[in-house]
Amino acid sequence: MPTAARTYWLTSPCRIRRKDQSLIIERENADNVHIPITDVRDIVACAEVDINTSVVSLLNRHRINVHLLSYYGDYAGSLLTSETSTSGETVLAQARTAEDPKASMEIARSIVDSCAFNVRRVVDRKLLARPYKVLQESIGGARSPEQLMGAEGTFRRSAWEVVDTKLPDWLQLGGRSRRPPKNAGNAFISYVNGITYARLLTAVRLTPLHSGIAFLHSSMERQRHSLVLDLSEMFKPLFAERLMLRMAGRNQLKEHHFDRESNQAMLAEAGRKLVVQTVRDEFAVTVAHRSLGRSVAYDELLYLDALALTRHCLEGAPYKPFRIWW
Amino acid sequence: MYVVVVYDTLAERNSRILRTCRQYLHHAQRSVFEGHLTEAQLRRFQADVETALDLTYDNVLVYTFPPGTVPQRLEWGAVEPAPSDIL
Repeated sequence: MPTAARTYWLTSPCRIRRKDQSLIIERENADNVHIPITDVRDIVACAEVDINTSVVSLLNRHRINVHLLSYYGDYAGSLLTSETSTSGETVLAQARTAEDPKASMEIARSIVDSCAFNVRRVVDRKLLARPYKVLQESIGGARSPEQLMGAEGTFRRSAWEVVDTKLPDWLQLGGRSRRPPKNAGNAFISYVNGITYARLLTAVRLTPLHSGIAFLHSSMERQRHSLVLDLSEMFKPLFAERLMLRMAGRNQLKEHHFDRESNQAMLAEAGRKLVVQTVRDEFAVTVAHRSLGRSVAYDELLYLDALALTRHCLEGAPYKPFRIWW
Repeated sequence: MYVVVVYDTLAERNSRILRTCRQYLHHAQRSVFEGHLTEAQLRRFQADVETALDLTYDNVLVYTFPPGTVPQRLEWGAVEPAPSDIL
């Protein structure tokens, strides 16, 4: 990943324009900001954004992806630059692996296992010990990705219940709901998941993998990056659940950070800014990587995982999905 | 590496230099820019800037700081806020 560039987060409605072969962000109720184009790795737009052809061609030339989150904070889509790291060989190898039921089930199984492992790690090791065991048994016997997803769903449900016991009343989830999220807790989770998904898409685009060929989720769906859905499973708990518990524990999340109507909720502008800031800082946190022997930012973990999958498809190197090791 | 760029040019060429700098760095003051660049970007920047200069009259100073470090900056007066990546 390029190091001299950063991700820009747009949290208020704005227009991106091209000026002097670089970017200028025009905001309604704040000053315009010039952004040097070489400083941008990608852009996550959490608010409405206007963009035009000349900007898109500039972004394309500099290989910058723009990810858009919708009004309710879930992932709405991306402006992706044309494919750069193409390699037919990798895509064929990936497709072959996905077509082979044994090989793809192997990957799907380890993804579900790692996801549950991470959830248990960040939520509560003791209370989730039994559900985790049940999950491991049922994924051992699972014959299809659907059965795996079912087992994961059961585990997730018990995990959400445990999460609820650690949250203040107003933030409790009461079961996961999406599109739109029913309450504040769900709005938060959806929002962070959307960001994780967007950042993972950027990471996958740096590898030659095809973002539509998946192992756990159905590759059949159109216009969705199923592979990114697969890979984001392991990382969601690291950001969504973990940050939610932490921010609730520190009393950082307040009721006024959410706009709540009957049966749906979303982050208000102040809340959005706070969450984006927290997630941005979290992406920059580093841990000592065992096999690389150096410290690695969380952000880079996403990329490393995508690389590991590439290597698995091409060379058959064992693929161990990301597990929190610290 | 972190770089600080200061330029002194004939007024009529200022805007040209300004535009070039904006592609690479954040505006800190009228003729001062700063930000992170890679070695390659710095070289490209140099090439870009040189085409816009009259080398017999103008000059550009570039201060570089070792990779991984950011110089401490003391500020007085009406300072432009440091560029943030959350807008």
